[in-house]
Amino acid sequence: MNSTKKIKLTLVVLCCFAFLQQLNAQTFTSKNIKFNIFSSTPVEDIKAVSYTGVAVLGAQKQELNIQVAIKGLEFDRKLMQEHFNENYMESEKYPLAKFKGIIEPKIDFTKDGEYSVMAKGVLNVHGVNQPRTINGKIIIKNGVINLNSTFNVACEAHKIKIPKLVFTKIAEIIQVKVQGDLNLLNK
Amino acid sequence: MNKTKLFIFLLLLSAVIAMRASAQEVDSLLNSLSSDQKFNKVEFTFKATHIVLSQSTETQKKRDLDFRIRHHFGDIGGKFGNAHTLYGLDVASDLFIGFDYGVTDKLTIGIGRSKNDELFNFLVKQKLLQQKTDGMPINLTLFAQMGLVAREPFSSSEFINYSDRLTYLIQPILSRKFSSSFSFQMMPALLMRSKTLGLADPENLLSLGFAGRLKLNKRLSFVAEYTLVNELSRNDLVAELYNPLGIGLEIETGGHIFSLNLMNSEYINENSFIPSTKKSWKEGGVRFGFTISRNFSLFQSKNKNPDTKSTIY
Repeated sequence: MNSTKKIKLTLVVLCCFAFLQQLNAQTFTSKNIKFNIFSSTPVEDIKAVSYTGVAVLGAQKQELNIQVAIKGLEFDRKLMQEHFNENYMESEKYPLAKFKGIIEPKIDFTKDGEYSVMAKGVLNVHGVNQPRTINGKIIIKNGVINLNSTFNVACEAHKIKIPKLVFTKIAEIIQVKVQGDLNLLNK
Repeated sequence: MNKTKLFIFLLLLSAVIAMRASAQEVDSLLNSLSSDQKFNKVEFTFKATHIVLSQSTETQKKRDLDFRIRHHFGDIGGKFGNAHTLYGLDVASDLFIGFDYGVTDKLTIGIGRSKNDELFNFLVKQKLLQQKTDGMPINLTLFAQMGLVAREPFSSSEFINYSDRLTYLIQPILSRKFSSSFSFQMMPALLMRSKTLGLADPENLLSLGFAGRLKLNKRLSFVAEYTLVNELSRNDLVAELYNPLGIGLEIETGGHIFSLNLMNSEYINENSFIPSTKKSWKEGGVRFGFTISRNFSLFQSKNKNPDTKSTIY
């Protein structure tokens, strides 16, 4: 075997190795993550929901990517929805709210179980990145991963301005609830 | 020695390729997962259902009732204006009270009543086309309105038949949101009536309106509109009639929209201001007008979804 052949062989082996790595890395996805947002003041409680959040979880690195289209959040009153999109979230400029982070501690996704976890990463809302550690719960049952988390988002931290006139109606801190089932992606 | 270097190089290269591939893979996965949700509508071309006087392509939201009060003052300048009438503020050249209701997000019905001619109007507005980021470049809304003049006739020959009191307006409205701050619309209209000012003033009056909005900030917009009537469908008029031109500021405060305008039209309703604007911007015939509009969401109790049920204490 001469040296060029050796190199070629090594290259082929390496390529195969890289592909195998990817195939082995289990990926879980969902396209119907439910997002609830809740604003509460003494004057008014406002709720909205989206059933169309998207999540990708790479089991090997425990990397979670999750995002929701702002326009997909539905309000009871459509005028409120218009104000939410136009005046506060500017959804034409910033169409998505995203989170990208690593889940800790290490979990065996092949086994059923219930885990209290936290995700360390970056939350992007209204185009503003905020480093966050978000607590949540993961329940694994029959290969389905159920995510569940409730956390707060401060409007000011994401440069969402609320005029004084409606200050009494819209809370400064919005509660966000995320839940959904992720299934193993079939390649 | 050389071989080892090459080997290390190849190892690193493949590792980088694999990492990049996985990062791209996540992004393309996210995209492909969200691709079946379509949020491609270009919405909120105009803040309100009206621009200055004319209708915009916007319709009422489903189950929302819009209560509108509009006031037109008298001439700022000229013979009827100046300090004697406090620049028109002593005079009410027209008043309007109306209710518009959203049957669906695309269909609005409404009634209203103006001081001028004691005009009752009944309107239907249907959104037909919706501008989208991919594909449809415009909005199209069809507006139809019937006017009923309820006042006593000025002479015994004025309303011989009851149908002489009726006017009909049909107006397709085309608009496009060019950017988040600039929207433009065009609206050709046909007004059918039986009472005119003579042969030069046809019963079927065509007009062509232009309107635009420039957003100054999130809550404040500048609006303007112009309606071409005279040069389009009537010439050699004995009476002095002008094309309506209006400008204004729209202030949105969440639920309320205040609209402060200057225009030469004395009248508020389309069936009146399109055919019979008698004042000119050049001769002090411009006046101040404002709208107060308040939206009420009706039938809230019909929402049984606990995820969206909002409560006002």
